[in-house]
Amino acid sequence: MKKLLSFITISLVIACFTVSGYAQNDTEQKKTEDTQKETVTIQVDKTQLSGGGKITITGKAPAGKDVYVEVYSERKVRAARLDSDPDPKTGKRPYIFYMTDDMPALYRLIVPEKYKSVLEDAKAKKGKWSVSEVIKNTGADAVYGYPAKIKIDRYQTTLWASIIGSRGEKLEPMDEKENKKRSMQLLKAKFRSVGNVFSSKLKIEQDGTFKAEVELPANTAPGKYFVVAKVDKDIKSEPLVIENVVSFPNVYLPNAGRTVNIFWPFILAAAITTFGVLMGAGGGFILNPILVMFGLPHTVVAGTVMPTVLFSQATGIYNYSKIKFINWKLGIIMGIAAAAGGFIGPKLTELITLDQYKFLFGWILIILAALMLWQTTPKYLEKNKKEQAILKEFKKRAEESAKKKQQGGN
Amino acid sequence: MKIEFWGQEFKANLFIGIPGAFLISILSSMFGFGGGPFMVPLMTVFMRLPMYVVVGSSLLAIFFNTLMGTARHYGFGNFDLILFLIMFPAAILGGYLGPKIAKRISPIAVKRAAVVGLLILAMSLLGIF
Repeated sequence: MKKLLSFITISLVIACFTVSGYAQNDTEQKKTEDTQKETVTIQVDKTQLSGGGKITITGKAPAGKDVYVEVYSERKVRAARLDSDPDPKTGKRPYIFYMTDDMPALYRLIVPEKYKSVLEDAKAKKGKWSVSEVIKNTGADAVYGYPAKIKIDRYQTTLWASIIGSRGEKLEPMDEKENKKRSMQLLKAKFRSVGNVFSSKLKIEQDGTFKAEVELPANTAPGKYFVVAKVDKDIKSEPLVIENVVSFPNVYLPNAGRTVNIFWPFILAAAITTFGVLMGAGGGFILNPILVMFGLPHTVVAGTVMPTVLFSQATGIYNYSKIKFINWKLGIIMGIAAAAGGFIGPKLTELITLDQYKFLFGWILIILAALMLWQTTPKYLEKNKKEQAILKEFKKRAEESAKKKQQGGN
Repeated sequence: MKIEFWGQEFKANLFIGIPGAFLISILSSMFGFGGGPFMVPLMTVFMRLPMYVVVGSSLLAIFFNTLMGTARHYGFGNFDLILFLIMFPAAILGGYLGPKIAKRISPIAVKRAAVVGLLILAMSLLGIF
C-alpha cells in the first residue's frame, strides 16, 4: 500500500512537471511566433558617411501596416521659442519661453509615400505650417518618439524679466503629453521648413517590405546617426547606427549645429570687414544678415560676431587715450547707458524668432542706408570737410603734445 | 553736463545722450553689430558735439556695450568658439586691408555703393525679393 502511494505521488509529480514543461514550451513558441509577426527589421546600405550623403533603408514590417522611419543625430543643439500666441479661450498671451539643449542637430521623420500630399499641403502654407498637424494627418502620432522625450525647460518671462535681462522664473517640468506638444513647436522653431523635418520617401510593399531614402546634407553634424523604423509605439526596430565623418577643411560649429567649410566664413568676413572700414561702419551690418541667410542661427551669429570687434575697439581706445583724445567723463557716462543696453539686448536676441530678426534688421539697414545717403549730400560733405580739418588739426596738436611730454619725461 | 576737451568747454545734453546710447546699445547687442554708425550721429547731430570730441569718446561708450554684450551672449550660450576662431583673424585682416585701400578710392563712392548694397540686403531680409 505504501509502495503504491509513493508510486502514485512520484508519477503525479513527474506528470505535473512534464505537463507544465510542455505548457511552458507551448507559450514560448507562441511568443516567438508573435514577435516574428510583430517586429520590424531594418538594414541600411552603408554605415559610414563622409560629409553627409544618401542612405537607403530597407526592411520588413508586419504586412498591411504603415511604417515610419525616424532618423536623428547624436549631436545636440539648442532650440528655443517664446510662446506669445494668445490663449484661444481667454485671449491672454502666456509669454512662456521654452528652451532645450537636447534637440538633435538633425531630425527626420520619414512617412509612407501615400502621405506625400499632406507634406505638400503643409509646404503650401509657408511659414504657417505646424509639426503637430503634419504628424496628426500622417498618422504618425504614435511613432513620433525621439524629440518628444527631450528635456525642455520653460520659463515664465515678463517684461520686467526681459528688462533686467533674465529668462524669467523657471516653471515646473512638463508632463509627457505637454513635453511632446512643445517639442513639436521647437522642431519647427529650429528646422523651420517642412522638408527639414519630414520626408515621404518611403515605399511600402504589400508583404510589408519597405524601402526608404534619406539624404543627410553636406552641412550636417559629424558623429552618430540613429535610424529606427516604427509601426507604432511598441512595434519598432532596433536602432541602427550610421557614422558621419567631417574632415578638413570642413569643421563643425557645435553651437550653430552645422558643418561649414572653414574658408567661406573667413573670406566672407575678411571681405566684408574690409568694406566695412571703407564705408565707415562695422562689418556686422552686412556680415550678420548674410550669415543668417546661410542658415546659421541668429543667436549664434550675434553672439559670435560681437566679440570679434572687442580687440579692434580696445586698440582704438588705447591709441586715442595715448594722445588724450578721449573725454573720459563723457565716454564713461554714455558707456554706462550703453552697458545697460548691452545687458538687455542679448536676452532679446533669444526671445525673437528668425522672422522677427529679419524684419527688424531689415529696417535697421534701411535707416543706416538713409544715414549714409545723408552723409553723401553736398551740405553734409562741406560741413564734414571743415570738421575733419579741425579734427586733423586737433589730432596733430594732441600727438605733438603727447610726444613732447614723452620727451620731457625722458 | 559740462565737459572739457583740450581747453574748450562743451555742453553735453545727457537727456538725449543717455536714452540714445541705451537704445542704440540694445539694438547693437541684440543683432551683434557695432553701434558706431548710430552712436556718432547721435553725439554729433543730436547732442551737437564737434566731431573731434566724439571720435574717441563714442568708441569708449561702444566698447562698454561690446564688452557687456559679449559677456551676456557668452552667458546665454550663443558664442560659438570655432566660428569665432575663423572670423577673428578675418576681422583683423579686414582692419588691416581696409585703411590701405581707403587711401586710393573716394569715400563718397564707397558710401553710395554701401547705400545700394544695404538697401538690397534690407529688401531681401524683409522678404521683398
